[in-house]
Amino acid sequence: MKTKKLILILLLALGALFLSACTGQTPSNTWHGLAADADRAYISTGSFIYAVDLKNGSEVWRYPPKTDSKLLYFANPVLTADGQLLIGSSGKTHDFISLDAATGKEKWAKSFSGARGGWVASPLVINDTIYAPNTDGFLYILDMSGSQSSDPIEIGGTLWSSPVTDGSLIYISSLDHHVYVVDPAKHTVVESSDLGGAIPSSPVVGNDGAYASSLASSIQFAKPGNQPSVVTQTDDRVWGSPILDGQTLYYADLSGNVYSLDLASGNQNWSVQPNGPVVASLLIVGDQIYVTSEADPTSKLGMLIALDREGRTVWSKEVGGKLYTTSVASGDLILVAPFQADYTLAAFDADGKQAWTFKPAK
Amino acid sequence: MWEQLIIQPMTNLLLFIYDLLGHGPHTFGLAIILFTIVVRLITWPLNASQVKGAQAMQELQNDKEWQDIQKKYAKDKEKLAQEQMRIYKERGINPFASCLPTLVQFPIIIGLYQSIIRALSVMPLDMLKLARTIYPFQNVEGIIPLNSKFLWMNLGSPESIQVLGFALPTLAIVVALTTYIQSKLTMPTSSNPNDQSAQMSGMMSIYMPLMLGWFALTFASGISIYFITSNLLGIIQYAATGRANWSNLLPGGNKKSVIKKK
Repeated sequence: MKTKKLILILLLALGALFLSACTGQTPSNTWHGLAADADRAYISTGSFIYAVDLKNGSEVWRYPPKTDSKLLYFANPVLTADGQLLIGSSGKTHDFISLDAATGKEKWAKSFSGARGGWVASPLVINDTIYAPNTDGFLYILDMSGSQSSDPIEIGGTLWSSPVTDGSLIYISSLDHHVYVVDPAKHTVVESSDLGGAIPSSPVVGNDGAYASSLASSIQFAKPGNQPSVVTQTDDRVWGSPILDGQTLYYADLSGNVYSLDLASGNQNWSVQPNGPVVASLLIVGDQIYVTSEADPTSKLGMLIALDREGRTVWSKEVGGKLYTTSVASGDLILVAPFQADYTLAAFDADGKQAWTFKPAK
Repeated sequence: MWEQLIIQPMTNLLLFIYDLLGHGPHTFGLAIILFTIVVRLITWPLNASQVKGAQAMQELQNDKEWQDIQKKYAKDKEKLAQEQMRIYKERGINPFASCLPTLVQFPIIIGLYQSIIRALSVMPLDMLKLARTIYPFQNVEGIIPLNSKFLWMNLGSPESIQVLGFALPTLAIVVALTTYIQSKLTMPTSSNPNDQSAQMSGMMSIYMPLMLGWFALTFASGISIYFITSNLLGIIQYAATGRANWSNLLPGGNKKSVIKKK
């Protein structure tokens, strides 16, 4: 009897252990958010946001001073003209905070208990107004002190990407397959375009409309007053935003194809497949296009690859971990934030020489 | 290995059903229910053998020869084990027949939980994994993102209803209740007051509802939908065999009732 009881209890305990290992709450874990100004990089890694000195990769400050399991920061922090650093939590509590970018001290924090979702997307700041997209499908409107200056605008679906503006209208993409056009003066959605697939990244404005990539393996152009048009098809789904440089559009797909498209003629200039799948958006600095490849197929480690404007590989560097975060440029440095790597941030110069790495002290 | 053998097939089956249902509001909950029915149908022979094995073991406890050897070799464990094995062999009883199906349920439950979490893709990394999990023949563009709403629930979060300012975990209560009913119905009665197997079944009928109720309270409500559907199907399956012991649901019913046989 004792043996049977023991076996029964062990079986129950084993079952509990297995399921407990799955974690009770929906797991909140994703890649890092990254931003930079002339002197510092700001990286959100879940529990903490770090300011890192660009000169040597040392930590300047971290927020919060002690970990709070209810708060998780993964969005790209946004720097404002008056020195605020804005970011929302995607943890159990949905605080939206403003930090003093110089010191890391909290300027204000709003609990946003009314929001049904967390903050994965970065906000957009226009003329002292903060437009913050929430995963609950609403665009929240705050003033620079964090007070809700207007009722939130219902967009739809789940909002993971930062809104963009052409100066008068706001374009925002949703996982519900639509690009929405919001008139900030009227506080309403004036138009929406169905692109046929979830849109996890921001559109890019140009030519009186917006270009958006989607999981429908295409780049489409949404122009107010017109039906969306397919600009080009891709070999695989596109996660990152397209980049517009003059009349040339650059983008990459999840199979690792990098494309250059001439918008004037509609012809593809070139496509190359440097090394591994590409989730992040491309980065263009000077004559080089920086591709952050999720992982080299052989080494399984993230790669930073520099291409010239003709798609030829200039150099490539193994960074480590997996690369999902879009790289950021500041001065002469290219910043990359590997996920699940030995370090959280690395800086390279334009020749591919690693300047420093940053690993948070425990 | 776990990913390829359990998570990917389960997630794809779930999404296939979800897509068949039109992937609109509330359909993911329906997909979980249909998925559970499919899993129960696949494991029907296993469950039937569990019921049969448990019944045979139970009947053995009331057997005179079995009771005699328990008394005769009470102090000689080795000889007792040999005699028990002889009886098992003579009567074609596998003592582990009732345990194996229970063990098979664990990877299904764990796989289902992980499939639900992956399918709902709460964060970008989850969705990226999901996009790579879906088999090429599936309608990825149409399926992603999944609609996690089902009735009043968000299937990716634990469920509760606000009643007079309190968060009432209704699903957890229903899970515990249906688990209790199922275990009580499948618990045969014994004429032997020292019957160890009956004592074990009694313990299971208390521990299992508490454990699954706690899971339902803590985990995503999608898993509770699985538990409830699975329990109801178990009750139906057992009732269909004609062995359901309904009197066990009444206080003291366990002592008064007689095992129903086909």
